[in-house]
Amino acid sequence: MNAPDETIHQPVRLRIMAALTALRASDEGLDFARLKSLTGATDGNLGAHIDHLARAGYVEVAKAFVARRPRTTVKASPAGRAAFDRHVAFLREIIART
Amino acid sequence: MTISPNEAGAMLADVDAIVARVKQSLIYRRAGEITILWGAIIVCGHLFDMAAPRWSLWEWRVADAVGVAATLVVMLRGRSSAGKRFPLRLLGAFALFFIFGFVWSELIGRFGPRELEAFWPTLFLFGYALAGLWFGAAFAALGLGLSALILAGYFWSGEWFALWLAVVNGGGFVLCGLWMRRA
Repeated sequence: MNAPDETIHQPVRLRIMAALTALRASDEGLDFARLKSLTGATDGNLGAHIDHLARAGYVEVAKAFVARRPRTTVKASPAGRAAFDRHVAFLREIIART
Repeated sequence: MTISPNEAGAMLADVDAIVARVKQSLIYRRAGEITILWGAIIVCGHLFDMAAPRWSLWEWRVADAVGVAATLVVMLRGRSSAGKRFPLRLLGAFALFFIFGFVWSELIGRFGPRELEAFWPTLFLFGYALAGLWFGAAFAALGLGLSALILAGYFWSGEWFALWLAVVNGGGFVLCGLWMRRA
């Protein structure tokens, strides 16, 4: 049986990973504003959760200036995709057992 | 860590909802680029049409060819290098619309210039309205809303119909495309 992933289990981080893994691995990722809209998190909250995921090696963060404005893009790493898949499989197993 | 089946179900539902929103957003983003592109072509086409009406037929043929080629480029550019296949189905869809439109407008219908100007955009907007049934309500809103405005112009805009089409049809495409890219 799969085990829960303590990092991904938190609801906002689960949403972040769900959004990022819905993209193809070759896509450039999602920008901060789009992730904020998808997760419903505040700026500070979202930033903290992205840092947490980055420290775990689950996401890659790229900062750049586009039209003189800072733009943060977040992308799921291969390790993050694998961890998310395992966590979702774990959740499905819980339901399948009932 | 203990997770109840109810909690697991709620989390999976949350995941599914986010994934659906991201996929919808990707569809809108790509469609938005194509919609803006066609909006610009439509505006230019109608302005050129007003300036040089005797070249109208050839001008629209060139505009359509440019639009189709640019649409295919946008579609190809947005795919990953691994899955970069030529969008044959899209090309087929364009071909079917053009053949259907040609048969009815030129061979059977024998439309006048005003009818032709109303027919072609509403034919393609009908495609948008149909796409809305599968790919998102914005397509249906664009197709039905602009068709209604074009018909209103057909009946009531008088000699300003070409300008009406440039503003309403071309401008409508650009505005809807910009909205889709942000959705």
